Amino acid sequence: MSDQHLLEVRDLVVRFRTHDGAVHAVNGVSFDLAAGETLGVAGESGCGKSVTNLAIVGLLPKPAGRVEGGSVKLEGRELTTLKEEELRQVRGSEIAMIFQDPMTSLNPVLRIEEQLIETIQAHREVTKEAARTRAIELLTAVGVANPESRLRSYPHEFSGGMRQRVMIAMALALEPRVLIADEPTTALDVTIQAQVLDLLRRLTEERGTATILVTHDLGVLAGMADRVNVMYAGAVIESGTTDDLFANPRHPYTVGLLRSIPRLDGETGGKLVPIEGRPPDLIDAPVGCSFYARCAWRTDRCATETPALLPIDGGKGPIVTSGPAATHVAACFNPVAPEEVAEGRPLRRSGGATR
Amino acid sequence: MFRAALVDPQIARASRGLWGDAARRLRRNRPALVGLFCIVLFALAAILAPVISPFDPYAMNGSSLDAPSLTHLFGTDLLGRDIFSRVLYGAQISLFVGVGAVVLALVIGGVLGAIAGGFGGRIDGVIMRATDVFLSIPSILLAIGIVTALGRGMVQLMFAIAVSYAPTFARLLRGSLLALREADYVVAARTIGASRMRILVRHMLPNALTPLIVQATLVLATAIIDIAGLGFLGLGPADPRTPEWGTMLVDARRFMQTAPHIVVFIGGAIVISAIGFNLLGDGLRESLDPKLKR
Amino acid sequence: MGRYIVRRLLAAIPVLIGLSILLFAYIRILPGDPCVAILGQHRTPEACAALRENLGLDLPLWQQYISYLLKTISGDLGASVVNSQPFVAEFLTRFPGTIELTIGALIFSIGVGIPLGRLAARKVGGWLDGLITGVSLFGVSIPVFVLGLALVVIFGVILGWLPTQGRIDARARFDATSGILLVDTLFAGRLDLFVDVVRHLILPSIALGSIPLAIITRITRASVIEVANEDYVRTARSKGLKEKTVDNRHVMRNAWLPVTTVVGLQVGGLLGGAVLTETVFVWNGVGRWVVDAIENHDYPIVQSTILVFAVIFLIVNLIVDVGYALLNPKIRYQ
Ligand SMILES: Nc1ncnc2c1ncn2[C@@H]1O[C@H](COP(=O)(O)OP(=O)(O)O)[C@@H](O)[C@H]1O
Ligand code: SF4
Ligand SMILES: [Mg+2]
Repeated sequence: MSDQHLLEVRDLVVRFRTHDGAVHAVNGVSFDLAAGETLGVAGESGCGKSVTNLAIVGLLPKPAGRVEGGSVKLEGRELTTLKEEELRQVRGSEIAMIFQDPMTSLNPVLRIEEQLIETIQAHREVTKEAARTRAIELLTAVGVANPESRLRSYPHEFSGGMRQRVMIAMALALEPRVLIADEPTTALDVTIQAQVLDLLRRLTEERGTATILVTHDLGVLAGMADRVNVMYAGAVIESGTTDDLFANPRHPYTVGLLRSIPRLDGETGGKLVPIEGRPPDLIDAPVGCSFYARCAWRTDRCATETPALLPIDGGKGPIVTSGPAATHVAACFNPVAPEEVAEGRPLRRSGGATR
Repeated sequence: MFRAALVDPQIARASRGLWGDAARRLRRNRPALVGLFCIVLFALAAILAPVISPFDPYAMNGSSLDAPSLTHLFGTDLLGRDIFSRVLYGAQISLFVGVGAVVLALVIGGVLGAIAGGFGGRIDGVIMRATDVFLSIPSILLAIGIVTALGRGMVQLMFAIAVSYAPTFARLLRGSLLALREADYVVAARTIGASRMRILVRHMLPNALTPLIVQATLVLATAIIDIAGLGFLGLGPADPRTPEWGTMLVDARRFMQTAPHIVVFIGGAIVISAIGFNLLGDGLRESLDPKLKR
Repeated sequence: MGRYIVRRLLAAIPVLIGLSILLFAYIRILPGDPCVAILGQHRTPEACAALRENLGLDLPLWQQYISYLLKTISGDLGASVVNSQPFVAEFLTRFPGTIELTIGALIFSIGVGIPLGRLAARKVGGWLDGLITGVSLFGVSIPVFVLGLALVVIFGVILGWLPTQGRIDARARFDATSGILLVDTLFAGRLDLFVDVVRHLILPSIALGSIPLAIITRITRASVIEVANEDYVRTARSKGLKEKTVDNRHVMRNAWLPVTTVVGLQVGGLLGGAVLTETVFVWNGVGRWVVDAIENHDYPIVQSTILVFAVIFLIVNLIVDVGYALLNPKIRYQ
């Protein structure tokens, strides 16, 4: 709005052309990311989290996937219309990524050394020796013991957790402004998960790296993210600071998500309740609220009208899209009332309450 | 009996579903349909050769090396025999020897593969080493060896080709059987105490046949090519007048400069039938294994 | 790595024994009196006696086999019944021709097949992909000798661009030490003859290479498509590597692996196909020699050629497997 954000995503639309028709993977996603901020993105698998990220850096699977609308700006520079070579220079050096499965994300036939050095040399005019020294520093920073000898190893000689540390080292090699970590710990054991998340938080804080941390597990975000976007069927359906969102979830889907995970704050009374039903088929363009089929709060209006992402308190004052004072917004005609959150169902007569 | 019946219908349903789906996918696969068309053309030529051939393929019906005309569609050869009729009868020989060889190879390879994969252990080791031996010899040389040892003739030819393909079938079947050993319904059958033989015959073999059928179709193309190759080397049917495609090419080659169309017609017949089986084989593989379809 | 090679060598022993039994049996199952069957029209009482002595036909079968095995290991691979020339001597003069042809075919099939496969993979589903798939279908569906004859007619007879017979201009005189003319002409400093050898090599290489070309194209295409969808390729792009680096280093280094194995397996087909190709192009190599041997019922020649070709096939595939292990760190360290 007023001053420029590090990353601004506006009305991003991504479709896949397939044999069965167009997949509406991302349907108008907007969000901002300020320097040094950590934005969590949560939602069931298939809701468009990864596709959004790939679209930001222009890595959608070709030729099926296409950005069909919207804009992505990095420090005011439009990325969606950049030439491939310019975009290449952004990738890895200004926006770096970490992917879900460390087992398959590193090239099995190349030594760690080659994979680290090539990253550095792709963006900096440095000698192999200098790049190698930097690689050793990086491995030390992510806690790999004997970095000099480990450089000579192949990925399969590392454990899953260690590989993800190497991935982190590689992503941070060029001190990027933005780090996109797409489910970085989903494939790891629980104990290793915590270690890797700790490392990630420490390193990004030290360097002031703005981070988009994607997970289908809201619990992970509690201690990690400043703000959270909850996504459903290719759209952000609720967004706010992590504290607001956890304390006062307003969208029925967010409430469902929260009830389906173990609480990290020790409140263990309630049992875990998975959300019933499945996300909609993204082949058809959604009519009305995309959560309609699974929603206990729905009213007739929800079937025909699509709710917009609006401030939960009715919209006094300007909407703040980043930072600790970010406005809490939700896309729902009948937001969940505080007393309904614990119950996980409406406590009113006929769904619709006025907002 | 009763116990095994608990498991069987499931498999029957699963495999009927597989073939039903495959047939549906195959009907939508344009290249496979083209292949099928080529094969039908080839088979009709072979079966109807006595009916549609305008001339006796062995008799002189014109002057030597006539160009194609309305009487002699493909022209005549050195001895004035009608090449069109000879190509039709050649299809008969290729079809007969080719199908015979592949069926024989399926039987030999199938039995060996079933024993190796079904029983494992030492017998498996022996059979696999034996296939290694045969696979180390270039297949045309193996066939040459067999025909020279047994003497020329259609049956010998068939046998020679069959022996060179049998090891591939044996390995293929063994591989699928080993994979199936751990399949749920096989484990289920084993835990309810079905006999080894019964599990093998009723549960494993029917499911292991799919890759074998695909391979057999593809190998038919190779068989037609190899039969012609042996004929071209003078190892075809015992009677050199027989209208076998490869044997005919030996003569055709001598007049390549003056009558190149002879090579074109005979070569074309070989290529069309081989393309037919290759296309159908690829189509079958894609239809039977949906994962492959892109 | 050393252990891996030793293990592979040990595994080859039973195969070699099986091969020797098979080829031992080959000469003995010829129908009728062995003397008549083997010597045919070349038989004389003395020749018969010599043959019986040589094959040890009067000994028990197992002794005959042991004696065959020992002779073979010591490098005595028998002799022609037509002119009594020892197999090995004649083979060595013929083999360079076959090596040259086989290498020509390999260069053609690899040199064209891999780029075609990569191209098709890059344009999956497009018309170029369809065209390449069609060409490779044609390649596996046309017999070597039919393609050979067609090439002779088109490029030799009609267009007259390239020679269609022999390995070199028959009037050429120079010192052919190794028998591999590409090398010999260069060593003799005869660039004109080198070019002539290359021109002679083109059509036979294309004919013989068509099947491997088709197979290599297919496997390269499939392999590149598969690797291109791997997570680590996406990682490579996300690091901002140049597309060329992604392709050459991340995609191809992995896509090579299945291709190498397939190339190794083609060598058997090439040696077999050489028999037909050499016949079509009147090429002086082992293949044509075998065809002559078949015509002359010179069975010991056929027998030993099969043996040598099979052993070559086994050795080449051993080398390929070791190469595969070197390319693939997961195997290398096991
Ligand atoms: N290559 C593709 N082709 C077609 N559809 C795709 C492709 N990749 C992703 N999609 C679809 O896009 C939607 C969003 O996927 P994704 O962003 O990966 O979900 P997630 O939130 O689990 O990361 C899914 O419905 C998926 O089916
Ligand atoms: S109440 Fe209506 S608008 Fe809100 S989530 Fe449910 S269906 Fe959607
Ligand atoms: Mg994802």
